[in-house]
Amino acid sequence: METTKQDRGQDRWISRAAPYLLGTLVLLITPLFLDTYGQGLMTRFLVFALFAMSFNIVFGYAGLMSLGHAAFFGAGGYTVALLKLHYDVNLFWISAPLGILVATFIAAIFGIIALRASGIYFLLVTFALGQMLYSLAWNVKWLNSKGMQGITGINLPDLGIPGFTLDTISFYYLVLIFFLLSCVLLYRLVISPFGLALVGIREGEPRMEAVGYNTWFLKYAAFVVSGAFAGLAGVLFAYYNLFVSPNHLGIATSFLPMVMAIMGGLGTFLGPVVGAAVFIFVENFASILSPQRWPLVLGTLFVLTIMFAREGIGVYLWRLWTRWGRDYGSVKN
Amino acid sequence: MDWFVINLLNGISYGMVLFLIAAGMSIVLGAMGITNLAHGALYMVGAYAGWTVTVKWGASFWLGLLAGGLCAGLVGLAIERGLLRHLYKKPNEQVLLTFGFVYILANLCLWIWGGWPRMPFTAKFLTGSMEILGRAFPKARVAVIIVGLVLAVGLWWLQEKTRMGAIVRAGMDDKETTMGLGINLERAFALIFFVSAFIAGSAGVIGAQLLGVHNALGMDILLLALIVIIVGGVGSIQGALLGGILIGVIDVFGKAVFPQLAMFTMYLTMIIVIIVRPAGLLGRKI
Repeated sequence: METTKQDRGQDRWISRAAPYLLGTLVLLITPLFLDTYGQGLMTRFLVFALFAMSFNIVFGYAGLMSLGHAAFFGAGGYTVALLKLHYDVNLFWISAPLGILVATFIAAIFGIIALRASGIYFLLVTFALGQMLYSLAWNVKWLNSKGMQGITGINLPDLGIPGFTLDTISFYYLVLIFFLLSCVLLYRLVISPFGLALVGIREGEPRMEAVGYNTWFLKYAAFVVSGAFAGLAGVLFAYYNLFVSPNHLGIATSFLPMVMAIMGGLGTFLGPVVGAAVFIFVENFASILSPQRWPLVLGTLFVLTIMFAREGIGVYLWRLWTRWGRDYGSVKN
Repeated sequence: MDWFVINLLNGISYGMVLFLIAAGMSIVLGAMGITNLAHGALYMVGAYAGWTVTVKWGASFWLGLLAGGLCAGLVGLAIERGLLRHLYKKPNEQVLLTFGFVYILANLCLWIWGGWPRMPFTAKFLTGSMEILGRAFPKARVAVIIVGLVLAVGLWWLQEKTRMGAIVRAGMDDKETTMGLGINLERAFALIFFVSAFIAGSAGVIGAQLLGVHNALGMDILLLALIVIIVGGVGSIQGALLGGILIGVIDVFGKAVFPQLAMFTMYLTMIIVIIVRPAGLLGRKI
């Protein structure tokens, strides 16, 4: 009995790890066969997948619906852009940590304000806070390039290695390294007691309180950590997009990770990644076929997702995988 | 002194438009627990329809008002009956679905009406101005204040004093028992949603004199509505009225005193309210 259990455990480990390894392999190899446009698209996918994963910690695991997550994403991006614009700093090892730091700092402040509210009010408050940054970015001259809205003139980062400059594909691999690193960190977080406590809060906060957890602090910590990862995504986004605008702080951007997370499978680890892949794929094709009608396609995509794939496309894929392999466990955490 | 009074009146009339914008959304949120982010888009649909009837066809303003309300109301009803009905008590799904309609409706309006923004318009008998404290003040703004007050009283009466209002409040507290008493809650909810969308649509026609008609209205109006609801508190007519007027006045004075900070004063007000009273000034816990 004991041995079979152990065998099963090992088997299960392989079955569980296989999709991750396969995914990593695909991410490593595919760009070699793509042109720069395709490589750019894959970079975009990784950036948004990371953003969606960070959002998933707050929304999927802790059950807090934040509508202001772009504030941290944008803060990371703006830090990179401002350093370049005002101080001509383009060294990755300065800009990126500072970007993450600024995003974390803003998340720490917003968290204190927003967590005073709960339920639908939390949504409204986070939305309002994000929108405040958006209006700041519109109105404060220092936060804009001369004569325009937003900041241009961002270059691919300088890695500080003599004789080496990044191009599209090497930048892709830089993003991939940070993406995989974040995946590992976030996975450790999710399976840790902290991650499990977050799920407990999502499922029944009063009960967790009764058991003796400091739920406020757990939620706050989740919010801040999530903000830090969103900041990293924002830093990478600024280098990818070479342009940041107030929109990247506001609600239009806050909605993207939400859509991706729900589309892929809320509260599942890889769901947001699948969601981001589907989203970027559809976005790319819709905007090639008919840029004018892209918002219509996007809106319809939201509606269809909610009406027919509420559990998330990633969850369906996972079921297919487990049925094809062996039927082990459920996906929810 | 008269500078102060004129600005105050401007603020109040703007606040009334804000109240008209937020009232419907607040009712739906408070009474049905539905977060309808497409509310601003419904406002836009109403504004475009009103423009077509009033300006393009040259029909009377009242007809435009009715057309705006009906168009938005029917679109809203279709969304509620077709989709939202399946998503009661699922706020996450509601948010995503209705936000999808922000994009869909904006793009459809772009398709039908084209991208160029329309000039502000209002009824013929309301053009021109009247004299207040020796200064000219547009008649249309006085009319907005009156309409807003009438609607506020009407909605309050509907919510607190009628059978309809009682059904909705009961349904919100305990759906099963209310339905068990033989009350057709579905029909009541559909009606509420229609009324809310109708108000949004006619607000689009009334607000056109201040905000014009353009394709980004769906999002702009949504922001304003959410600010008003946060400040005033969810689910009460009085809250939406107080929030609307407060934000309207603060915004007008803010723009007069610190022109470069435009929208920022609004957000600042909202954050202060959140810190002091997380449920809004007159909000009740939901």
